[in-house]
Amino acid sequence: MKSILRIFIFILCYSTFGQTTINGKVEDEKGRPIAAANVFIVGTYDGAISDETGNFSFITTAVGTQKLQISFLAYETINYDFEISNYQPITFKLKENIGNLDAVVISAGTFKAGDNSKVTALKPLDIVTTAGSAGNIIAALETLPGTQTVGESGRLFVRGGESDETQTYVDGIRVAQPYGATANNIPTRGRFSPFLFKGITFSTGGYSAEYGDALSSVLLLNTIDEPEQNQTDVSIMTVGVGLGKTKKWEKSSFSVNTSYINLAPYQLIVPQHIDWNKPVQAISGESVFRYKFKSGLLKIYGAFDYSTFDLNQKDINFDEKVRFDLQNSNFYLNTSYKGNLTDYMQIQTGFSFGYSKNNIGISDDKVANNERALHYKIKLRQSFSNRFKLNIGAEMFHTNFDEKFTDFGTNTFDYGYQNNVVAFFSEAEIFLSKNVAFNLGLRSSNASIVDEFTIESRLSFAYKVSENSQFSMAYGNFNQTAKPDYLKFANHLNYESTSHYILNYMYNKSGKMFRAEAYFKDYDNLVKYDGTQPDYTSNYNNKGFGYSKGLDLFWRDSKTIKNLDYWISYSFIDSERDYKNYESQVTPSFIATHNFSIVTKYWLDKLKSQIGVTYSFNSGRPYDNPNAVEFMNEKTKSYNNISLSWAYLLSQQKILYFSVSNITGSSNVFGYQYANSPDLAGQFQRQAITQTADRFFFVGFFWTISDNKKTNNLDNL
Amino acid sequence: MTKIITIIALFVASIVSAQTQFEKGMGSALKLWSEGKNTEAIAQFERIALVEKTNWLPNYYIALINTTQAFQEQDKIKVVALLEAAQKAQDACNDLAIDNPEVIVMQAMIHTAWIVYDPMTNGQKLYGDVMFLYEKAEKIAPNNPRVVFNKASFEKGGAEYFGQDTQPMCEKIKASIELFANFKPETPFHPNWGIERAKQEAENCK
Repeated sequence: MKSILRIFIFILCYSTFGQTTINGKVEDEKGRPIAAANVFIVGTYDGAISDETGNFSFITTAVGTQKLQISFLAYETINYDFEISNYQPITFKLKENIGNLDAVVISAGTFKAGDNSKVTALKPLDIVTTAGSAGNIIAALETLPGTQTVGESGRLFVRGGESDETQTYVDGIRVAQPYGATANNIPTRGRFSPFLFKGITFSTGGYSAEYGDALSSVLLLNTIDEPEQNQTDVSIMTVGVGLGKTKKWEKSSFSVNTSYINLAPYQLIVPQHIDWNKPVQAISGESVFRYKFKSGLLKIYGAFDYSTFDLNQKDINFDEKVRFDLQNSNFYLNTSYKGNLTDYMQIQTGFSFGYSKNNIGISDDKVANNERALHYKIKLRQSFSNRFKLNIGAEMFHTNFDEKFTDFGTNTFDYGYQNNVVAFFSEAEIFLSKNVAFNLGLRSSNASIVDEFTIESRLSFAYKVSENSQFSMAYGNFNQTAKPDYLKFANHLNYESTSHYILNYMYNKSGKMFRAEAYFKDYDNLVKYDGTQPDYTSNYNNKGFGYSKGLDLFWRDSKTIKNLDYWISYSFIDSERDYKNYESQVTPSFIATHNFSIVTKYWLDKLKSQIGVTYSFNSGRPYDNPNAVEFMNEKTKSYNNISLSWAYLLSQQKILYFSVSNITGSSNVFGYQYANSPDLAGQFQRQAITQTADRFFFVGFFWTISDNKKTNNLDNL
Repeated sequence: MTKIITIIALFVASIVSAQTQFEKGMGSALKLWSEGKNTEAIAQFERIALVEKTNWLPNYYIALINTTQAFQEQDKIKVVALLEAAQKAQDACNDLAIDNPEVIVMQAMIHTAWIVYDPMTNGQKLYGDVMFLYEKAEKIAPNNPRVVFNKASFEKGGAEYFGQDTQPMCEKIKASIELFANFKPETPFHPNWGIERAKQEAENCK
């Protein structure tokens, strides 16, 4: 019996020997208790979670020097070294973890200090399912506030800026030629198909010091890091055919898409306002190769397209229509690498090469040009803490443009320009608390054409006033080298420059978002020339100037009505410029004072269909009537467009898609072209610049053939 | 007599001490979970995961508890937080045992929860992923009841939607019940859940 007692005593001793109670309290910075924080001794299983009052208590058998860890979701983890035998109850104060909070808010909308105020991130699916966009990234962006619908151009015009004031980037590397080639007053499309991209960020001003040589806007496209599976996509459309293939290996993957577009059948069915000698034909291919390293990702993106058309266009200055034909070849290669050098330092580097070649015939004149553009960039990002991050980087651009003009097949003129730009940038991201954040940036660049270093400062500030709403402000000054159209004739032009002042309010609650943004932009050193066209006889200078101010409103709601997602945009703009060959400071022709659009998408479960309707409205745009005394004093009638789309899921793998733009056939007028000289009665005759056709119809059949036969092509429309 | 008692007592003591720290920890964590104390259970699994750095089980349960909770949660913001926590634990599992059928099924379940969260956006995006994962798991472990059941259940959802025949999936769900009954987990702490859900779904098939 004694021995039993001995054993029990021994067991008892064994289990109580060296037991220590660890207790204490967990609070936030303001002294409020934190419940459910995990408190434990690192390397053991001994621990507990704090209760409603923030108190915790547990027993440990550990001895000697130990590390106590206190962790809780959105707070910075505390590690406390102590000697078990000396432990005294402690109150631990947890600091909010900015990084974690950041991530939490991003899922409900976006919050990145500075950038958040002016960036709207759209999902690729939003683009392809927007009625009227026909898979064109740019057309979908035109349903956002701050943009102008310029129907005869098809390019992005942002807040009183010209289309070439926007720079496009793929994986952080610039795209020199983002648009397809086109003729005068015939809209172009963005060159990129949206489904290769996982994220599209569109900034309408005040952007980071990482981006330069853009006066109005940057469009950032990020390609997919990792495709989902091996699959083949087949599309048969009224406008052509497409074939895509994705192959995935353990560490790498390869995607390729090819398409052949021929608008002949469409042009046959739908009455056209233009005589087409040869329809638009385009053959294009894109491919992405990705390779995953241990701590980084390499992407190589290549795109090629060749397009051609031939048409006769009415010109008020000639009795007969003017023949215009074009062949364009475009090649773009982009290589980027993103990875971690250390736990706290990230590197992003890459280069791109863009090559564009045009052969254009205008009546008997011939124009042949080509542009070669290179971009190299390196950026390092060091995280000193969750509250302070520093980016530094450098980049180089090289542009070489040559053009040859042949007059009636006899006289030949050769001209062009070369420009080398070096730029350095640095940006600090500072969080004072989870509610207050700053971005401070500085950029300096030198274009060989100007041979002068610019100093550009960028500042943004965000203040969160409540859980769902915040204010932000941004300031920046920006420089851009003059556009190729001028530089090819005058290679001594200075930078054009602008400053942005932006005030933003944003409200974001699951599924609902409201943004209001007021801005002012001040333009200076804009290029002016004399004569009717910028050509080699014109005199050029940088004496132009202008301003732009306005208010942008945006509301998106995908929650109130089940299966309905819609957004409404309204922009008011007041902008004037004295540039080009203008007589005085006036509102340029691409600006409409009021812009309104509503995009709706409704998922009809019973019909397995998504139905989309988009309505856009612009007030009239100014034009100059040379018969009137005042310059640019007349306005076109307003612009209206209702577009409809219908995607029907035949089965998991097959989709039928139907869309029609401008369903009411509203005959929109974008402006007027006036004759260069008056007629016998002393009047300048004019012709309206209109849509190439009143409506655009599209029917497509999309089929995905994959290993598992269950995905479909809806993403790819 | 005293000797026998001594021997027995010693034997009991040795059993008690033979139960490793890991087993005790896992046992108590699973007990907390079964009592519905999810936060406590997750905290305990997190502590175990930090010690047992090469074992995927504690992170597996963190992912499982969060995902199961996400399926039941009505508040969309909480769903996002739960699924992000689940994915974080899942990432750790993927690093340790990417080809384990249980780990693959867990990843497919997280994706499925995202589809339920926002079918319009995530349905198209993740449907293929989920099927890819189930097929991968099926190749590795064609008789694992969770692989068979979860795959059939997911396919059944799709077939019902498109008005296709659900009979083949129902057959598989029924077959999985037997697989569940005969399933022997590697250790008492390896996944061994699902038979109740399979029975319930089999009921719905009739």
